Parts: sequence; structure tokens; C-alpha cells
Amino acid sequence: MLKTFSIGGIHPSDSKISKDCKIEVLPLPSKVYISVAQHLGAPATPIVKPGDAVKVGQVIAEPAGFISAYVHSSVSGTVKSVGPRKDLAGNNMTHIEIDVEGDEWAEGIDLSDTLVTAIPEDNKAILEKIKLNGVVGLGGATFPAHVKLCPPPGKKADCLILNGAECEPYLTSDNRIMIERSKEIVVGAAIMKQVLGGCPAVIGIEENKPEAIAAMTAAVAELQKTAKGYDGISVMTLKKKYPQGGEKQLIDAVMGRQVKSMGLPIDVGAVVQNVATSLAVYEAVQKNMPLITNVLTVTGDCVPMEKQHNYKFRIGMPLSYIAEYAGGIPEQAVKIVSGGPMMGKAIANLDATTVKGSSSLLYLTAEQTVRKAESACIRCGKCAEACPMGLEPFLLQKYARHNMTDELEENAVQDCIECGCCLYSCPANIPLLDIIRIAKGDVIKIIRGRAAKK
Amino acid sequence: MERLIVSPSPHLHTKTSTKSLMRDVVIALLPAVVVSVLFYGWSELLVLGTSVASCVLLEYLITKYLLKKACTVGDWSAVVTGVLLALNLPSTTPWWVVFIGAVVAIGVAKMTFGGLGQNLFNPAIAGRVFLLISFPTYMTDWTRPQGFIGGGLDTITGATPLGAYAEGGVSAISEISSLDLLFYNIGGSAGELSAIALIIGFVYLLARKVIRPYITLSILVSVAAFSGIFWAINPEVYTGPGFNLLTGGLLLGSIFMATDYVTSPMSNLGGVIYGFGIGVITMLIRYFGAYPEGVSFAILIMNSVVPLINKWCHAKKYGRA
Amino acid sequence: MTQTIIWTIAIITILGALLAVVLYVVAEKFKVEEDPRIDEVEKVLPGANCGGCGQAGCRAFAQYCVESSPNLDRCFCPVGGNEGMQKVAAVLGVEVAVKEPQVAVVRCNGTCANRPRTNEYGGYQSCRVKAALYSGDTGCSFGCLGCGDCVAACQFGAITMNPETGLPVVDEEKCTACGACVKACPKAIIELRNKGKRNMRVFVSCVNKDKGAVARKACSAACIGCGKCAKVCPFEAITVENNLAYIDFAKCRLCKKCVAECPTGAIHAVNFPVVKPKPEAPAAPKPAANVTPSAANVISSEVEKSQTNKKEE
Repeated sequence: MLKTFSIGGIHPSDSKISKDCKIEVLPLPSKVYISVAQHLGAPATPIVKPGDAVKVGQVIAEPAGFISAYVHSSVSGTVKSVGPRKDLAGNNMTHIEIDVEGDEWAEGIDLSDTLVTAIPEDNKAILEKIKLNGVVGLGGATFPAHVKLCPPPGKKADCLILNGAECEPYLTSDNRIMIERSKEIVVGAAIMKQVLGGCPAVIGIEENKPEAIAAMTAAVAELQKTAKGYDGISVMTLKKKYPQGGEKQLIDAVMGRQVKSMGLPIDVGAVVQNVATSLAVYEAVQKNMPLITNVLTVTGDCVPMEKQHNYKFRIGMPLSYIAEYAGGIPEQAVKIVSGGPMMGKAIANLDATTVKGSSSLLYLTAEQTVRKAESACIRCGKCAEACPMGLEPFLLQKYARHNMTDELEENAVQDCIECGCCLYSCPANIPLLDIIRIAKGDVIKIIRGRAAKK
Repeated sequence: MERLIVSPSPHLHTKTSTKSLMRDVVIALLPAVVVSVLFYGWSELLVLGTSVASCVLLEYLITKYLLKKACTVGDWSAVVTGVLLALNLPSTTPWWVVFIGAVVAIGVAKMTFGGLGQNLFNPAIAGRVFLLISFPTYMTDWTRPQGFIGGGLDTITGATPLGAYAEGGVSAISEISSLDLLFYNIGGSAGELSAIALIIGFVYLLARKVIRPYITLSILVSVAAFSGIFWAINPEVYTGPGFNLLTGGLLLGSIFMATDYVTSPMSNLGGVIYGFGIGVITMLIRYFGAYPEGVSFAILIMNSVVPLINKWCHAKKYGRA
Repeated sequence: MTQTIIWTIAIITILGALLAVVLYVVAEKFKVEEDPRIDEVEKVLPGANCGGCGQAGCRAFAQYCVESSPNLDRCFCPVGGNEGMQKVAAVLGVEVAVKEPQVAVVRCNGTCANRPRTNEYGGYQSCRVKAALYSGDTGCSFGCLGCGDCVAACQFGAITMNPETGLPVVDEEKCTACGACVKACPKAIIELRNKGKRNMRVFVSCVNKDKGAVARKACSAACIGCGKCAKVCPFEAITVENNLAYIDFAKCRLCKKCVAECPTGAIHAVNFPVVKPKPEAPAAPKPAANVTPSAANVISSEVEKSQTNKKEE
């Protein structure tokens, strides 16, 4: 019996159309615009000015706070400007504009393909490398990786969970890297496991990716045979259910533990990292390669098979450039999503550029995505049945519409993970999550305010 | 593609809609409808037609002219109410009595509360109970009209098994076998005819994930347990579980009416409590009440408790003991 | 028979007396000591319970007034206005300064014609939800989102959405300047401004802080921060900060010079008396080419008016 999380969840069609498309490398555009806010936390501070010559992998912005990250140039060339540019959502954010000239890499970066399996012994040096190379979580939240790998004093990691669930429909980038870069991912896992004090590591993959499961299992077996420090790593096949890749759900599925409300995974001894993050950790530690590339899926029902792609991109490439290169925007597409269809962001501005956490250009058709008119709640309870946190969205939205913050807090609106299961499953098309998301923000602000007062 | 659409996530949506759910309920009722028409013939068709037509028409008129809001007939909920009301009435009911039932169901029980989703009581049951109290003669006239098939199958003319038991005790129903009850009931309202037809509908609803099984099973188990205990104490006076499960409107009520989304609890635990209440009240009325049958009263009574159950019973939350 | 009646009367009387005693004791025991002036103040308040004063309701406001008496500077009931506050002051036997009457002003001129839509919003129709998601369905990331949160927030029915422009319209008669809409607007577009002499007001109807070219590209009636208005203002009432002009209503003397100077028509003058344009009046400076005809008319007539005013001066 395959494991999965215990509460709620939904089964949308997984639509992994591009799962067999090999990763292709995108050519460099003539210009890149690198955002200083590619991670959760404070935007980084630019340290270059117009006219500066930069190389690939050179630091161009420094962290501005504990929860922040380095940003590196993804190209070589000249800095053209540093200033506001509209991001994915159309809001102004500081971008560093660089004119691309050649492809000259900064010194000290190992560009060879050789697999380095020997893990450095100094954990501090490893963490420093992860931090200096700007590694952030690539599962969606882009939380700085080194922060997550340093459990607060008094807390110990019992298990490192590598998230290869990729439960979002359509996305196949994690699937591809697990097939094509399996050994690197396992080395990354071994590195993180060592930093965390040698706890076991479990790579959780959903059953709909048999190739990835086979590749990862083989990679683990081979590395365990040929190198040291790879004991305690295993692959776990999980039942297909959305949102398996949610941090809290994955911990429940793999370890059978549940994180307390407003708590952190480390409270129950878990550290969750995406497989793509693991790859980035490998490159940062073993190759001294900063996080300037990632893999992105170009897909959608309305995209013909030959135009489905998994691209290795460099940060700062305009999305419109990628869309153009992949063969243009399909006729029937009415919405382009960056990220999965359940939690991704609809793109308001295609001139926005790729960031560390970009994972897709997903084209959706009107039939798939246009919301139907809202009708009366028939109290079917399908939203509550679907909620992986065991909340009652029908109730929360009612309280939220009347601004009843006390009741909202009592009914745990702050636990909402915004997975979208409620809105997905509502037969009356009630914009449950739209309303609940705002209320959650309000309630968390109240809770934080109260905690600060104490 | 002229301008891109931008909206908050999620960007996909289930194909299930209020309309598709209601249509599934109607489809699940079809076996029972077919059986009743076959056995009761033209008069049953008249009752069904009047009931569905008047429910839909009333909802249309009320939303359009009284409430002056968007018409909700398209969601099929009025059709469900119409079919359920018809299956709850004897096939001999005059058309005007059926119409009054529809007025109470749609006009009073549903629309005065604000329409679909707002009503406290199941409209079809409210309509049926109103008719049962107001027109007892029509509502207990079980003389069987000539159906399309099976004209000579009845063993007890003019009374339902439960009615016979209420009047004559256990000895009056000794001739009825469970097998008879399973395939075609003897006398009774249209929807009580065939247990098999109703169970087929139940399986369909479960397979389509329209309803969860907790409420229905809770009712059936509690009826079986309650009658089992009494039967074991004194089989001379009390009817057994098999008889109680298969007679009357128990299956119709527990599968189609108690599971009505709007008037039943939202949580699984709440559903079990609600079902238990219905089962026990049904059996209390059957054994000790003045009426031979108590399912509709039980559901109505438990409907009124649903807000309280909803308040007490919540789903288990992640990470909270 | 008689005896029954007597018994009944007696029992009822005794019961009544007993209950009266109980009621009295309970009332005494659980009496809440409250300043009687709170009741009196509450009586002269409008009773709208709108929260415009910043308190939970009229009673809370009355309590707040009583507590802060004799200094009522921080208490103001926008619904009752100065008149109401005078009454409150009279009840409390103190003096209160007269405040300028204010009105809610929508500082966005991004009509459907001025500000082309760049995408379609497909989520829940709420400005808060929309603002949390992205910059909005036009090129302007500062302007009105048009979902009507302000309309819903207004307790007095003073705000309606104009379907043609897609912008909210404030009914000056009904507006009590309670500020609920100001709080509701996630883009901080609505501002409470002094009503001005005979309701005449001049204000910058834009909150866009983008650079001129960007702002202009997004909306033809945007403030581009050119600073011409600030230069022409004789009273130093206009400041330009972050590419956006702001007119201090306390300093503005309603000369309307800035209105004529603004190249995009972002500065609005409202409620000025309409003066028939004189035939010999010089042609108005060319309004922005792509300003809507109606807006252009308003601007040119305003310009003429201002020129007339100048002559009168």
C-alpha cells in the first residue's frame, strides 16, 4: 500500500504531457534583467552600477538581512541599468539590466561534467558555499536553503525529505532532472543529510513518475556501492494525490507526523527540500556553481507535442523570449501561468523575467480556466472533504465576508496552505480561496501582533 | 487571444457543478421511477408529471416575480424535489393535492428561506408531511391502480406492510417474505416499491461521489440495531430488522432525502450522529407512534438539529489534537 | 368562587412583590457605574454607528468624548460635522474648534478611455483580492482597480461605480467624510479633502508614482510629475514627490493656474461656476491629443474660466 497524506486532497488529471521531453539548453538572449527579489524575505541589495563589466556567476546583489539571498549574474557583459522594472504581477521591482557579451564565467566555477561524489567534511564550509552561491528552495517558496539547513538550537532533524512529488499537474521539470541528473541529486541529498547531522534521507516521488523512481533508485544503489556517506538514503513511492508536494502533507505522508499550527517542520524533526534544490546544492558545493539556472516546462493542452519543452534557462531571461523561442503563444491560450495550475501565478506581464524559482510557462485554454459564475453554496461539503489541512472553507469564507476575525482564527484560517483544493472542488464556483487567502493574511497579522506585544 | 486572463490560483476547476450533482441524483432516481411507473401505470405518470412540472414552474415564477433574482431552475434542484415528492405520494393522489404539495415544498420550505442552499428542511419531505397531515385520506389510500405489468401480485390489498402492522400487529404481516420486499413492495407510495431499484441508485451516487455513505449507513445500521434489540426481546410484538429495513420509505428516505446536502450535516461524524437520530426516531414512531411510518418525520426533526450538529462536529484538522 | 378570586389576587400580588424585590436587588448588585454624560452625549450623536470617528460606534465615541473632555481636539464625528460637535461640546460644557468640512475625493482619472486595459481580471471581484494578486488589469500599477470595495464600504450610499468610466463617483451630498472608503481602498486612491469654498476644489486626480513616460504610456491622464503645476502655483501649495504632484488643500487658493498648466489634464477643478466662454478669449492650450473629448472640453472650459477669473482680478 503506497503512502500518502491522511487528510483531504484531490485527484485532478496529472496531464504530464511533456514528461518525455529531454531538457534542452536555451540560447542566451541579447539582454537579461535580473530581479533582486528571487527569494523569500528581503530583496537583495545591488552591488553593481551601470557600466560595470560582469562575468557569469559574479555576485551582483547581496543579501539584505538574515532571510535573504545572494543574486549572481547569469551572463557576462555590461550592466546597463539598475532600476525599477515590472515583475510577473506588474509591480515595480529593482532589476539589474545586463547587455550580454560572450559567455565568460567567473573564476573558480567547475564547468566540467564529472560527477564529484566525495563530500567535503567541513559542514560550516558547506553551508557557507550554499549561502554564497545563492541557493534557495526551488519547490515554490524560494526560502533561502542555508537557513533551512541550520536547525535552531535544541532542535534536531530526524529525517531529510527530498520532495520529488511534483504533484502539480503539467509540471515535468522535476521529473526530468530526476531522470537526467539523478546522481547529482543524490549527492546533493547526501550533502544536506550530513549537514543536518546524518539523519536518514527519503526521496518521495509520486507513482506517476516510474522512470524517475527507477532512475533515482538506481542512482542511490550505485552511489551507496561506490562511495562513502550515502547510507540511509532511500526512495519512497507515494500515491498520486494533490497536494502531496506540500511541505506539511509530505511530512505526513513520509513520516506520519503532523506539524503543529503555525509551527515549522523542524519541530517534528523534518527538513523538506525539493529535488531541484538538491541539485542546486550539489552544484554549489561540489562545483562552486551559483544558482543561476533552473529547468522550466513549456506545456499546456493547447500546445502541440513538438512545442512541448523542458528548458534549462538562466535567470533574467524575459518570459516573452522563452515563449517566442518555444514557438510562440498558442492561439487558444487565454491564460499563461508561471508555476503549476493549482498554485502558480497567472502572468500579467510577459515581459517579466525568469527567476530562480521559475518552473513553467503553462498555457491554459478558456475552457479549462475561465471561472464560471458563482452560485449559491449548496453545503455539499466538498471543499471540506478536499482540504488537506482539515479546514472548512465554506465556513471560513462566510466568516471572512463578514470580517469575523475571532471566528476565523478559531477555525484555523491561519493553517491554510493556499493549495487551491477548495476552489478547485467547489461545484458552485464560489471563490473560496480568493476570499480565504485575504482573511488568512489578516489573521496572521493579528496573531503576530499579539505575539510581538507579549 | 486578445488579452490574457489573470486570476488568483488555482487555475483549474473540477467539472462537477451544482447542476451535474443534481442531475446525477435524478439519474439515480430513474430505476425507482421506472419501477413505479411500470407497476402503477398512468396514474403514477400523472403524479410524477404534475409534481415535477409544478415544482419547476413554481421555482421559476417565484425567483422571477417574487424574489426578482436570477432564475435558478437551471440547476435541476427543483426537478429533484419534484421527483422525490412524487415518489413519496401514493399513485392515486389527485393532481391538485400533488400541486399543493409542490407549493409547500418549493414555495414554503425552499424559497422562503432564500432558495437552494438556505433551506432548513428538505423541501420534498416538508411537502409530503404537509399533505400527510392535511389530506390523510388521500395520503393513506393505497388501493392499487392497474399498472403496465404485475397487476395480480399484491397479497394484501389496500394496505402497506407497515400499515398492516400498525393495525394488526406482527400476525398481520406474517405472509410477507423479505424477497418480495426486496424486489417489489406490496402497496405503498411509488418510491417505496422496490428496494433493489433504490439500492442501484445508491450505488450510482456513491460511484459518482455525489454523496458520502455515512448518513445512509448510519440510518440503516441504527434501524437494524434498534429493531434487532426489540425483536430479540419479543418477536411476538415487534417486527424484525429485515422487515424494517425493507419496508416503507426507509431506503428512499435514507438514500435520497436524508443525504440532501443542504439539510444534512457537513462533517462525516455529524452525518453519523444525524443518521443515528433519524434511525432511532423512525423506529420509535413505527413501534409506538400513531402513524405507521416515521421516516419523513424523523428526517424533518433531525433537519432542525443540523445547525447544532454542524456547530459541534468539525472535521479533524491537520496538526491539531 | 369569591374565595378563589381572593386567593388568586393574593398570590399574584405576593408573587409580584417578591419578584420586584428580586429585580431590585439584582439591579442594585449588578449595577454598572457609568458616567451619565455618556448617555447625554450619545443622544446628540447621529446614531449611524458608522465608525467614521475611529470608534466602534456612537456609544463608544460618546464615551471617548467624555473621557477626553475637556480637550475635544481629537474627537470628531464626521457625520454630525461641526454642528454635531458643537452640541457635544455644549453637553460637556467645553469649547471645541470648528473643523473644515471634508469630502472623499477619488484621485484616479484612469477611465476606460484614458487607461487601456492590458489584461482581463478573472478572479473574485474585490479590490483587496485583486491588489494582493497583482498590479491590476491596466498598465498603471497605482490606479483604481474598479471592483468597488469603496462602494461596499460606504454606509451612506454615497459612492457608486460609473459603468462608463469604471471609476467610483462620490455623491458630495451624501458623503459624510467618515473615511471608511479611504480605509477600504487598497491602492490609497481616495483621500479626504477639505470641501473648500462653495465646494470648489482643485486636486491632482492621480496617484501614479512611475516615471513620466511610463505613467503616460499606461494612462493618458496620468500625472507625469513634470512639475509645471508646482512652478506656476503662486501659493506654494503644490509639491512634486516621486514623480507625483500633490496639492495641499490648506494652502490652495483655488486660482486654478495649475489646471491650465497640466499637460495631461490630471489636475481637476470641480464645482467652479460655469462661465460662458467669451468669443474673443484666446484659444486654450492644446489639451493632450488623446484625452477623451469630454475631458478635453472640461479642461478647455476650465482654462477659459480661469482666464476670465484672471481678468476679473
